[in-house]
Formats: sequence, C-alpha cells, structure tokens
Amino acid sequence: PECRSLLAAFAEGSAALTGCLGRRARPVRLCQGCHGHYRRLLAQYGSIARANSSESHNCAKSILTSDRLQIVVTLSEFFNETWEAANCANCLKNNSEGLSNSTEEFLDLFNKSLTCFEHNLQGQATDLSPNNYTEVCKNCNETYTKLNDLYNHLQRMNRQGGESAHSAHLCIDVEDAMNITRKLWSRTFNCSLPCSDTVPVIAVSSFILFLPIVFYLSSFLHSKQKKRILILPKRIQSNANLVNIQEKYS
Amino acid sequence: MANVAKKVSWSGRDRDDDEDGRAGETTPLLNGTGPGAAGSGRQLTPSSFLRIGQLSNVDLNEDICELETEVPRQRPNEIPHNEKLLSLKYESLDYDNSENQLFLEEERRINHAAFRTVEIKRWVICAMIGILTGLVACFIDIVVENLAGLKYRVVKDNIDKFTAKGGLSFSLLLWATLNASVVMVGSVIVAFIEPVAAGSGIPQIKCYLNGVKIPHVVRLKTLVIKVCGVILSVVGGLAVGKEGPMIHSGSVIAAGISQGRSTSLKRDFKIFEYFRRDTEKRDFVSAGAAAGVSAAFGAPVGGVLFSLEEGASFWNQFLTWRIFFASMISTFTLNSVLSVYHGNAWDLSSPGLINFGRFDSEKMGYTIQEIPIFIFMGVVGGILGALFNALNYWLTMFRIRYIHRPCLQVVEAMLVAAVTATVGFVMIYCSRDCQPIQGSSVAYPLQLFCADGEYNSMATAFFNTPEKSVVSLFHDPPGSYNPMTLGMFTLMYFFLACWTYGLTVSAGVFIPSLLIGAAWGRLFGISLSYLTKGSIWADPGKYALMGAAAQLGGIVRMTLSLTVIMMEATGNVTYGFPIMLVLMTAKIVGDYFVEGLYDMHIQLQSVPFLHWEAPVTSHSLTAREVMSTPVTCLRRIERVGTVVDILSDTSSNHNGFPVVESNPDTTQVAGLRGLILRSQLIVLLKHKVFVERANLNLVQRRLKLKDFRDAYPRFPPIQSIHVSQDERECMIDLSEFMNPSPYTVPQEASLPRVFKLFRALGLRHLVVVDNRNEVVGMVTRKDLARYRLGKEGLEELSLAQT
Repeated sequence: PECRSLLAAFAEGSAALTGCLGRRARPVRLCQGCHGHYRRLLAQYGSIARANSSESHNCAKSILTSDRLQIVVTLSEFFNETWEAANCANCLKNNSEGLSNSTEEFLDLFNKSLTCFEHNLQGQATDLSPNNYTEVCKNCNETYTKLNDLYNHLQRMNRQGGESAHSAHLCIDVEDAMNITRKLWSRTFNCSLPCSDTVPVIAVSSFILFLPIVFYLSSFLHSKQKKRILILPKRIQSNANLVNIQEKYS
Repeated sequence: MANVAKKVSWSGRDRDDDEDGRAGETTPLLNGTGPGAAGSGRQLTPSSFLRIGQLSNVDLNEDICELETEVPRQRPNEIPHNEKLLSLKYESLDYDNSENQLFLEEERRINHAAFRTVEIKRWVICAMIGILTGLVACFIDIVVENLAGLKYRVVKDNIDKFTAKGGLSFSLLLWATLNASVVMVGSVIVAFIEPVAAGSGIPQIKCYLNGVKIPHVVRLKTLVIKVCGVILSVVGGLAVGKEGPMIHSGSVIAAGISQGRSTSLKRDFKIFEYFRRDTEKRDFVSAGAAAGVSAAFGAPVGGVLFSLEEGASFWNQFLTWRIFFASMISTFTLNSVLSVYHGNAWDLSSPGLINFGRFDSEKMGYTIQEIPIFIFMGVVGGILGALFNALNYWLTMFRIRYIHRPCLQVVEAMLVAAVTATVGFVMIYCSRDCQPIQGSSVAYPLQLFCADGEYNSMATAFFNTPEKSVVSLFHDPPGSYNPMTLGMFTLMYFFLACWTYGLTVSAGVFIPSLLIGAAWGRLFGISLSYLTKGSIWADPGKYALMGAAAQLGGIVRMTLSLTVIMMEATGNVTYGFPIMLVLMTAKIVGDYFVEGLYDMHIQLQSVPFLHWEAPVTSHSLTAREVMSTPVTCLRRIERVGTVVDILSDTSSNHNGFPVVESNPDTTQVAGLRGLILRSQLIVLLKHKVFVERANLNLVQRRLKLKDFRDAYPRFPPIQSIHVSQDERECMIDLSEFMNPSPYTVPQEASLPRVFKLFRALGLRHLVVVDNRNEVVGMVTRKDLARYRLGKEGLEELSLAQT
C-alpha cells in the first residue's frame, strides 16, 4: 500500500530523469538540465531505503531485496554511475543546487563566443569558400582566448583541488562545450594556424646532429689509440724443451 | 750464446727478477700430447726460487731466452685492444675457504648455539638488504619522477609559448641544453669519480658472482655514484632505464651490510665479523642482486631466478630460500613506501619501478592460432637484437680504442643527450599525427601544430620518461598511434638506444629494449589487424607486449629469469607460455648471429669469465698444457727477505704461493705442503710474525683469524709494509697459516675435468702436482678462461696489461 506509492514515485522520477538525460544528450547539457531530477530521484530512493524502520511492512526489504532482479537497485545504480561518469558534481554547487559560479561564468563566455561565431558567419554567408573565415578568427579571437584560458584555469584548479576523486575531468557539459568550440575554431574555421618556423629548426637541429660526427672523426684522428701490452704467459714450452730438461737431470 | 750469458748474469744479479724467467710463447693449441709430453713432465722441478731450475730453463732454450730478454724488456709487444684478450687487472675472488689451523681452531670453538646465532644473523642481513634495496629504489623513483616532471613542464611551457609566437628553435635549444647539462653532471661523476658505475652494472655483477674480482665494484662510493648517475641520466632524457642499475645497487647494499662496515666511510660497526670473507659475501651479493631485480620489476621470483641463472654456481636450498626472502622484502618495501607516497597508503599497488599494468581484459587473451605469430615475432626480435648487439659491439670497440679519456667520454655523453633531444624534437615537429586528449592519460600533452584539444601522439612516445612510454604503448586503446609514427619511432629509438648503451653514464638497457620492442610489436599488431580486415583478436597492446619480450630477449638473451620477470611484471600467468616461446625463439635466432649484450661486454672488458662448461672440443688438452709454470713456491719456514722480494716483485702479481717442504740444501725434491695467499703473507709481515721474535719471547699476541678479517677486503700493498734489513734475515713459519689441504690435480687431468673442479668449487688456485706430490704448475682462472670456442674451433686469448 504505502510501498506502492513510494515505488510509483520512484518510477516517475526515474522516467523523468531518463527523459531528461535522453533529450539533453546532444549537445551535452546533462548537468545543467537534469540535476533537479536527479536530486529528486535520490531523495525518493533514500526514502525507500529508509522506510524499513517504522513500518511493519518493511518496504525497503520488499522493494529492494526480495527478488532476483532487483530492478530498483539496478536503476538507481545506473543513474548514479552515469552521474559519476559525467562528473556533474564538479560544476554544481556543493549542496548540488544549481550550477557553481565558475561554471556559470564559463557558460556565459561560451554562449558569447558562439554568438560571436554566428554573427560573423552570417556576414560571410554569401561566399562559401572555406578559407574565408579570417573575419571570424579576427573578431572572435578575444572571446575564444578568454574561454580557452578559463577552461585551462578550471582544469588546473580542479587538478589541484581534489587529488583523490575523479580529479582529472571537469563536468561533461563544460568539457563538451569546450570541445565543440575548439573543433569549430581550429577545424572548421582553421583559425589556430601557428606560425611554423621550419628553417631555424632545421638549421639548429642539423647543427646539433652534425656535432657528433665532428666529435667522432676528431677523436678518431687525433686521439691516440689505446694499446694493450701483451704479457707472455709462462707455459711449458714444447716437448723438446722438456726432453732437454729431463736429460739435464738424468 | 751471448744471450745466454747475459741472461745468467742478470738472473744471478737480482733475485727479484726471478719471476721473469718464464717460458716464452704460448703453447700451440691442439698440439696435443706429443711424443715426449706424456712421460717427461715428471722430472720438472718446482723451480721458482730454486736457482738451478730457473737457470736450467734458461740455459737450454735460446728461443725463450731471446723472447725474455728482448720482447718484454725493450720492445713491449703492443697491440690495439680487441676482444681476444684477457686483462691482468682482474683477479679471482677467494671463494674457497683457507682451512688453516687458525680457522679450524675457531670453528671448533664455536659451539652449536653460536652457529644458530650466525644463521639468524644471515636472515637479519637478508631482511635488511631487502628493506634498503627497496628504499633506494623508492628514492630513485621519486626523485626521477619529480625532476623529470619539472623538466618536461618547463620544456612544454616553453614550446607552448613559442608555438603561438614562432621561434621553436629556441625550445629545441632549451630542451637540448637542459638534457645535455643534466647528462653532463651524471657523466662527470661517473667518469671522474667511479668509472665502474658506468653502464647497467649487470655484466659486473655477473662477473662478481662468477668469481672475478672487479675493482671497486661493491663499494659504497660506487653505490652513491650509481644512484645519482641513474637519476641524472634518466632525467637527462637519454634512452635508458633505471632498472638495470637497481641490480648493481642491490648488490652493493648487500655487500656493504653483510660486512658491517664501510671502508669508504672508514666506519666499522663491529658487527657481522663472521661474514668477512669472499665466500659469505658472495651469497649476500646474490641476494642483493635478486632484491634489486625484484624492486625493479616487482618480480621476486624473477629476481631469485636471475641470481640463479646469471650468477651463482654455488647453490643450495637454504640460500635460495633466504634470497627469496630478501627479494620479497624488497618488493614489499618498495610497494608500501610508494603507496604511501602516492597517497593511497596500504593499497600496495606499485610493486616495481616499472609496472606493466594489468593485462586481464577479455581482448587481451590469446588463442592457439596466434602462437605461430608470436613465434614469428620472436624471430624478428632475435634478428633485431642481434643487429643491436652487433652495432653496439663496433661502437664499444671504437670507444675502448679511441674514447678512453674521461673528458672525451663526458663530451660524448653530452652529445648523445643533445642529439636525443633533437631527434625527439624533430620527430615531434614533423609528425602530423594528432589524437584527441582523453582525460589525463597523457602526462605532458604537447599540442604543437595540432588542433586545440588534441595532442601530438609522437610526443607521448618521445616526450616522456621511457617507462611511461612503454606502459602507454601497452595500454593505450587501439588507434592511439598511427603506423607511421610507430615506425619512425622504432627506427629512431633503436639507433639511439644502441648508441647510448656503453656511454659513461650509469643506465640500463632493459627499458629501451622493451620500448623498441613494444613499438614495433604494436606496429605489427596494427598491421595485422589491418591485414585481417579488423579481426577482433588483434589487440595491439598484446602484440606490443610480445614484441617487447622478443626484443629484450634478443638483446640480453636471458631465458628463464626473463620469462618469469615478464610474467610477474604483467601479473598474468597465462602469458607465460607465449612469452616463453617468444624468448626461446629470440634467443635461438639471436645466438645464431652474435652473443648476448652482457656477455659481449664482459668479453670486451677482457674479463676472465668462466662459462658453465669447458669448450666442447678441449678434451685433448691436459693440465700440463694449461698450467702456468714454473711456479713461485715458498718453503715452510722461509726467510723474510725472500718473501718480501717475491711479494714486491712488480712484474709478477701472483696471489697464491704453494708451500713446499723446507729442506734448504737439497734443491730437487720438495713435496707440496700447502698453499698460502698473498693477503695472508702481507698480514703476517705486517704483524711481524717471525720465528726469531717468538723465540725471543717478545711481547707477542698470537695472531688470530680476526687479524686477517680486519684487513679484508682491502689488504695493504706490500710497498706500505716496512721491513728493516735485520728483519729480512729473520725466518717466518708459514705452517700455521697456510691452507694445508689445497686442491690439486695430476698433470694428466684433461681440461674439462680441471675446469669442472675449478668452476664448481670456485677455486682461485689449483696446484698441478706430479705423482710424487711435487709442484709442477699452477692453474688459475686466466689459464682456463683463455680457451674459448671461436668461429674456427678452439681459440686462445692472450693476456694483456690494461
């Protein structure tokens, strides 16, 4: 009776969360959009798990552990794992209500740079030659650099902060946003063309590679070859010798 | 006959030079026992200081006379260094106990309980060896990690900065200079302070366990230089690993602890005095080598087997068990300290310096169809290993001949470091192989010309410490490297590693070999899956592992221990079979061309190394032809002056002297009574144990075994002992100190028989006697080691001064 209502609540919660996750899978907005659902679901699961103490029916036992399949446990585990893998805790506030400040800031910048891209692209939409993105690159460079720096900064902060947990990753939303931007920036727009200075590199490296040849040649020519002095071992010389000795003594 | 006359007068003038009255040329080989040889040797006198024997030898042979007077004196016979030499620098260790009266008395005094204490002490020492070896390994690991991390961060920041602005040549210069300067420090300390710390140290330890005394090899100073040198050369970015030197370090630690003192520090802790002799020390050194292997690879069983395979010809159950204990303790210490350092205490997840990571996922399994492929990889590994060794052989020969001055060696090491950096940089620069960054799997992702958010995959291979590169080659998911990258990397790294090994830096060859092998193995795996249209079973990681095993096996040619080490390092027993097959094929194929790297270096160092067996075609040789003769003998009661003269004779650096019956007047019959060592004589002279002094009832403590032990292992040279003119006339009684039961062989014993006795008992001197127990000759290590199986049958090496 009461257990059934708990179960129904859980089912609805999970359905909502699943829907949310599915809808926000691409581009990834999981953490921003679904954290509410997730929190609610956690609470519902908690209430099921805690329901054993007072009730005579012992809902926790009947719902969670009375059959082989244990679907509720599996579901909640799945959601937890997904949440962990997405590393959402990283861009939420500590009490997981709403996004943290740094994430907000990042998303702001992200949106700004996206609009900047769009804005500049519209101007050029008439000629579709692929090399004509220079305008974008010029105009949006500032925002992009800011965004990039912020991302790197966040990443560094994160790495320093929690050494033990999933320290290496930011939350998936931020990572994905950055990935998209970077791809746009360097693949589609071809903006990050570093100046290649092949000539000095070749010069310096061939100089360094040339050094050993000089070294070996000079040491071959100038260094005195090390000689070994042969030592003659003491051995019985030959049979004639022995015979002689024998004769001497006999 | 002018020569003869000259010879006589010269010989009569100065007794010191008696030793030079030696027979000249080497025996023609396979001459066999000629007509006169069989029965004629009997009459040969023990004629060292017995003048007549000497002169008769001289008188009757003009050829020899000429050789003696001219060749060694005026015109020393010089030849360029080659591999067919034995150096006089190396001596044997006294693995055979000198069972003289003092020793027997002491052993009798020790009761049963005392023996038990000695046994317990052995265990304590083994535990300490393990702990200290583990700690040293931790120290190396942590320091290398931090310093290398610092270096790579600096260079990476620099490259990142200049990628945007241009001027990458400065980054290249920075990288090359950093490498070269770090390596310079590492090379300077090795070249100028302790040259024996160069290389991986495995050949040296092999020689030590074989019974060759390499000067300085187990000193504390060597350990310090070794550890610092390894750290510097790995940080300096050379193509080297820090695993091989661990074995040397472990051995030095073992030798140091078991003696309870350090002569470098001039400290004597007055403990473990019982173990101050070569026999005991050797057991501990083999334990130390095992502990080193086990700390390096996290392979305790592999360590024990390494000691067994490479070193100890003297093996028993208890020793094995103790050695296993030491290696277990060592890997456990390393594991616990490193896990504390990495912040997850008691996790015990890093058993060795290099950890191959886990190979237990589904796709890492192998099927029976793959075994022929593995064997083929073994063949490739053998061929590549042989090529590596052959190239290194020429290089080493060149180095020995021309680059022997320490300054040149340092310059060479610096150049190699700079070139290594340059090659790495150019490869990264030219590579267009970009891979997306996935989390933090790459320690120092270099972007360079890749798109933002991607890294250069060539950089993971070059821009990293070799250990990390190996692991990433094993475990990075398929598709992390493109074949072009791997091919170029293999090629470059092969030559770099080959060039690097043998430099005057302390560094090992294990990791570079593994890295080369892993690279081509992975390449092989990728092309295999390409050929088979993306079959499921072709996981490149697995082939990388097999390639690594094949390459390492092809270079060092170890069999059993290497299999077990690889098995333990991967933590997967089911890989045992393919790894064994791969190593076996690699060894067979490689041995067809040239011998293993370590054996090659031992040979190039002209070390008198005794292999397991005598050369197969040597049965026709007998002890008569092998031995050195005449022998410098001492009488049982000998004049001090004679002893001093014999010992201080620079031209003959003999170490063991047969003691014969002392009947001063007759010159002929003198039966063998015992054998006394140079070191014992020196101690005797130092304490002035002369018969006259004893008779005069001078205050004289009876000499104990302790006096000999205190002098061990660095006995003072004879020059430092002052013997006055009066004392020269005194007599010295050797009968109490000599070993009254030395091992002897008759003259007719065949070479394999002599060899077996010598090798199995770890002898240093083997006296050849005739049937009247008269000393005919003496067989030492160099007499046996000079016969070797060459390309055209049996070869004889010549002795040389180095």
